[in-house]
Amino acid sequence: MKLTEFMTTKIEYIDPDATVYDVVERMVDRRIRSLVVRSPNEKDGHGVITARDVVFKVLAKGIDPSQMRADELASKPLFCIDEEASLVDALEVMEQHNVARIFVCQGGHIAGVVAMMDIMWAVLILRARGGHVFR
Amino acid sequence: MWKIGSGIFLGWTLGANDSANIFGTGVTTGTIRYRTAIWLTALFVMAGAVVEGPKCMQTLGELSRLIPLEAFCVALAAGVTMAVLTVLALPASASQAIVGAILGAGVLAGTADFSRLYRIVACWVFTPICALALGYLLYRGLAWMLDRTVRRLTYRNFIYLGGILVAGCYGAYSLGSNNVANVTGVYVGAGLLSARTAAVIGGLSIALGALTYSRRVMMTVGKGIVPLDPFSALVVVLAQAMTLHLFTQVGVPVSSSQAVVGAVVGVGLMGDVRTISVRMLLKIAMGWIGTPLSAGLMAVALILGVDAAAPLWGQHVGPLLERLGITEAIFVAVQFYGGWLRSVMDALGW
Amino acid sequence: MSFGKFFSRGRKEQQVTERMADHIDLLCEACAIFHQCLVSEDRRLARKVPDMEREADVIRREIVSTIYAGAFLPYLRPDLCRFVSLVDEVFDLLQETANIFVYRTVPESLKGECIRVALLNLRMCELLRITYGAMLEGADLKEKKLGLRIYEKKIDDIKYGLLRDMMEIEVDNFWQGRLLGEFIDNLTGISDKIEDASDHLDVLNVSMR
Repeated sequence: MKLTEFMTTKIEYIDPDATVYDVVERMVDRRIRSLVVRSPNEKDGHGVITARDVVFKVLAKGIDPSQMRADELASKPLFCIDEEASLVDALEVMEQHNVARIFVCQGGHIAGVVAMMDIMWAVLILRARGGHVFR
Repeated sequence: MWKIGSGIFLGWTLGANDSANIFGTGVTTGTIRYRTAIWLTALFVMAGAVVEGPKCMQTLGELSRLIPLEAFCVALAAGVTMAVLTVLALPASASQAIVGAILGAGVLAGTADFSRLYRIVACWVFTPICALALGYLLYRGLAWMLDRTVRRLTYRNFIYLGGILVAGCYGAYSLGSNNVANVTGVYVGAGLLSARTAAVIGGLSIALGALTYSRRVMMTVGKGIVPLDPFSALVVVLAQAMTLHLFTQVGVPVSSSQAVVGAVVGVGLMGDVRTISVRMLLKIAMGWIGTPLSAGLMAVALILGVDAAAPLWGQHVGPLLERLGITEAIFVAVQFYGGWLRSVMDALGW
Repeated sequence: MSFGKFFSRGRKEQQVTERMADHIDLLCEACAIFHQCLVSEDRRLARKVPDMEREADVIRREIVSTIYAGAFLPYLRPDLCRFVSLVDEVFDLLQETANIFVYRTVPESLKGECIRVALLNLRMCELLRITYGAMLEGADLKEKKLGLRIYEKKIDDIKYGLLRDMMEIEVDNFWQGRLLGEFIDNLTGISDKIEDASDHLDVLNVSMR
């Protein structure tokens, strides 16, 4: 089964000018752990802010989130993988770069994201169907 | 020879009553048709009675030395006790009734041997206990085995079905082999019948009871094995059959109903210990005491009654009837109607 | 139960189990077709679903009558029939969804998620079929049930998104809105019914231990 079946398609975007406070607000509202920050110009690509980033790089350091821009906190570039790739490939990339999520990209634009929870679900479902993902 | 009539009556009540212990669940759940169940019961009860029936007959004979007329009364007392208890929807055990009746008669005649009673009562007590143990062990053992070998739904279904049939047939066989002594054993002790003949006649009477009147008992609640799932029901019948068969080898007739109670508890121990209730225990205990007591008293009453009635008949009632020409009248009537019946049958070509 | 039936044992049961498998397979096929017609927006394709539902009804009646003609222990029969009727309920719901689709297009903003739900429904049916096979073999159903729960939860998540997005849609009149609402409800309700059916497989599994 393809990666596209396990990915989350609802991706939340935020403007690069928005504050980190807005980011937090969105995360809490929508119960999500990451947001994609739109690229401010043609050159830079999109970036991603995760809950980890917010907690450890801003809140724990005592920095006022309303004083920081989303663009400043975002990690770039996004880690992308082709939609034809397999689950194992996605895991390899995630392990290699030590990230908890990877974006599924299709012709330069983001189709969805595969996070750790999605990986768990995918493995369980593959097991239930009688297949094995890993040897 | 008419004296064995009461034994046949006793056998009939036993067959009607105890068949429910064998195929009761099978019939009420619709697994097996009533007709098939009773014919199988009748067949295997006969087999059990004929093949191993005589084994238990000696035990009853040892309790008291009875003359044929006393044997008649004893069997009648037991039969009536059974019938009354059945009507009152109380547990009725033929084994206990007959022993009580025999001892009652024995006490009256002075030939009772109470030393033999201890062995018999011990077996009564052990019946539900043994069935309990067997029920528990069989349940665990068979479940373990089946989980390891037969997992497919369709195969399991087949095994359960076959199992219920086989267990039932075995149950009927055990019933016949163990309880036929209750029915006609007294006549062997009184010298009226040989053990073999007694087994055949007893077996037939039990089979007859199963064939004619067992439906009512099967359909009523209170037999205790109906709400079980197929596997538990199978184990209960098997445990009961094995218990009875075991006691046949020991030579003592025991109660199949009480074996069933023990087996149900044994199976129930797997899950809920609540299947044992004080009420149930009291019922069983009452069976051990109440049934033989009432049967014994009735036997005493019957024998005294017959003893008193015999001279009464000979000296008063008989001659009275003759003088009124009633005996003659009956004789003539029988002749007339007999002839009429024969001519009708000839006309019909029979 | 007469002796003749005893010796021919197994054939009726086999017939029942095979037809039950056919029943679920047909459901999977219908789900696949429905997913396909959402993707390709082919309304004619959607008309196939009611035909398949009728065929499924025929199979269901056949199964039930074979069961009560003497297959399986009486103890099992009600549960088997209940399972078949639960699968039938899934079919009915699918048919209703397809029927609405024939007459109304899905708004563009909702299309993507609806296709996802339809795909997940299909996957659930496939997993139901696998679970059914496992139940027949007497295997442990825990993993399969977890898989089904995961699918159901995913669909639930998408459903909330859909309901939110639905509020942004302009409708011309009440009936249009109502039909759309029903469509979404039915589409997302299919997974609940499939889960009910799979729960019943568990009942069957346990009752024979």
